[in-house]
Amino acid sequence: MSKNFYHYPVWVRLWHTTNAVLCLFLIVTGFSMLYSDAENELVVGFKRAVSVHNVCGVLLTLSYTVFLIGNLFTANGRHYLLTIKGIGQRLFQQGYFYAYGYFKGEKAPFPVNGERKFNPLQQVSYVGVMYMVIPLLFVTGWALMFPEFILKRFLGFSGIFLTDQFHVILGFLVVIFLFIHLYVSTMGKSPLSNFKSIITGWQESH
Amino acid sequence: MFFKNLLPGLICSMVLTFQLGAMPMQEDTGGEKKQKGLEFSLYGDLNNQNCLKCHGKLVYSITDTVTGQSRKELMAEHNFISPDAFYNSVHWSFNCLDCHSEGFRSFPHAIETRFEAGWSCLDCHGYDPAYAQYKFEEIDAEYQKSVHFTATDGAFTCWQCHDAHYYNPLARETGSGRENILKSNEMCLHCHGNPDIMGLVTEKELTMVLPRHEWLPDVDRHLAAVRCIDCHTRMTDSVLVAHEVMPADSAVNTCADCHSQNSILIGTLYKYASKESRDQKGFVNGVIFNNDSYVIGANRSKFISLAGMLMIGAVLLFAGIHTIIRIIIKPVKKYYE
Repeated sequence: MSKNFYHYPVWVRLWHTTNAVLCLFLIVTGFSMLYSDAENELVVGFKRAVSVHNVCGVLLTLSYTVFLIGNLFTANGRHYLLTIKGIGQRLFQQGYFYAYGYFKGEKAPFPVNGERKFNPLQQVSYVGVMYMVIPLLFVTGWALMFPEFILKRFLGFSGIFLTDQFHVILGFLVVIFLFIHLYVSTMGKSPLSNFKSIITGWQESH
Repeated sequence: MFFKNLLPGLICSMVLTFQLGAMPMQEDTGGEKKQKGLEFSLYGDLNNQNCLKCHGKLVYSITDTVTGQSRKELMAEHNFISPDAFYNSVHWSFNCLDCHSEGFRSFPHAIETRFEAGWSCLDCHGYDPAYAQYKFEEIDAEYQKSVHFTATDGAFTCWQCHDAHYYNPLARETGSGRENILKSNEMCLHCHGNPDIMGLVTEKELTMVLPRHEWLPDVDRHLAAVRCIDCHTRMTDSVLVAHEVMPADSAVNTCADCHSQNSILIGTLYKYASKESRDQKGFVNGVIFNNDSYVIGANRSKFISLAGMLMIGAVLLFAGIHTIIRIIIKPVKKYYE
């Protein structure tokens, strides 16, 4: 018998939805710019891709600010506090569970409960993405919108070149995270149960 | 550089004979090729030195041979020839009167000299196998189709952009560098930034350049990084620098024309550099980096793209295999039984 826990308050669900929609627009327009082809415009033409990418980037910054304030002043923030001690072992346990124990029907080593929303792998990846990758994407993205503030040369390279390459690498990391995030989300009680959770707010233990 | 070295050997025999007679300094140096540049201008041929006595200075003096009275006067800007720049141009070895009429030999110059017919590039360089590689005939054909020719009834000539006194093969010497961009755009702005000069060839009212380009994001950066002709001429596979200037409404106005992996810049601004060097430095259109430039959409790291795609592929492959095993084993059902 599984229990339900209210892990996704309204503001988290609204932020998550906004975040997801904006990220999708940013990824599609980002790829459209990266692989821009005048004769075969990929999904979005370059000019429109730049405009949409810029607007979504600004909106994502605002949405991230809401997330940051929410995590600072509500209980949601505690799920993002990493305990470094023993983290390697916990990550291994969770990885082993996904790769092997899960198929054997073993119990999850770090099941969802009233205190725990994320397992160690989720926690590390969410902290990495939300507190490192996304802020760096903002810094590089805003810099590319205002290139006059970018150093002309750094370590012998053009500043804009380095900034954009870094932005692209971070963008790829977000795409990779998105695919992993989506797939792991199907590993709830049913393939759709975690998706229902982010809509209703209630998460089933598994 | 090749063009410069080639030139003395290619000029016609009449000119050579004249020059050798007028420039004994060449013979005195044991037949060595005379050196271009400032040093040569100090002991240049008599004819040129006579002309440049006045035309090579911003202030010159004239003397009334009857009264002996002398006075200094300012040389009109358009009649001034910079000796340094002239002796550093490809036409450095010519005497003034090789191209200018005999009427200039006396002073004051005869009134007929005001109506002297100007030479076009094709008059000397056209249909000569020695210059075939520069494709002057094709350049002329492009020019005849350009709006510069059609909108000015031919009043616009090679000289409006290419002053033969100072001509150097810019694209060949500076590649796609910033110097090329700056000097090339200076040629355009010489007329398009000055209604009086433009008025010499057309009655059309000058439209200000900057307001017409405000649709470009970060307009200053764009205008400093490309030549006017990169957007305003019809791209050609043949000549190095396209000369068919199109009407303004036919100019490039789509971002993706430049910001894409098949960027037109490779066939325009970077044509010479891309022909000279195939080094892409691991980037799509990497030749653009030679100019300290980076064009989003046109430049892409092949390594980052490949690594990113491989990682995405690996995640999808892992998820696919994991899904298949889940379908076979049905672990969730087993877990909750």
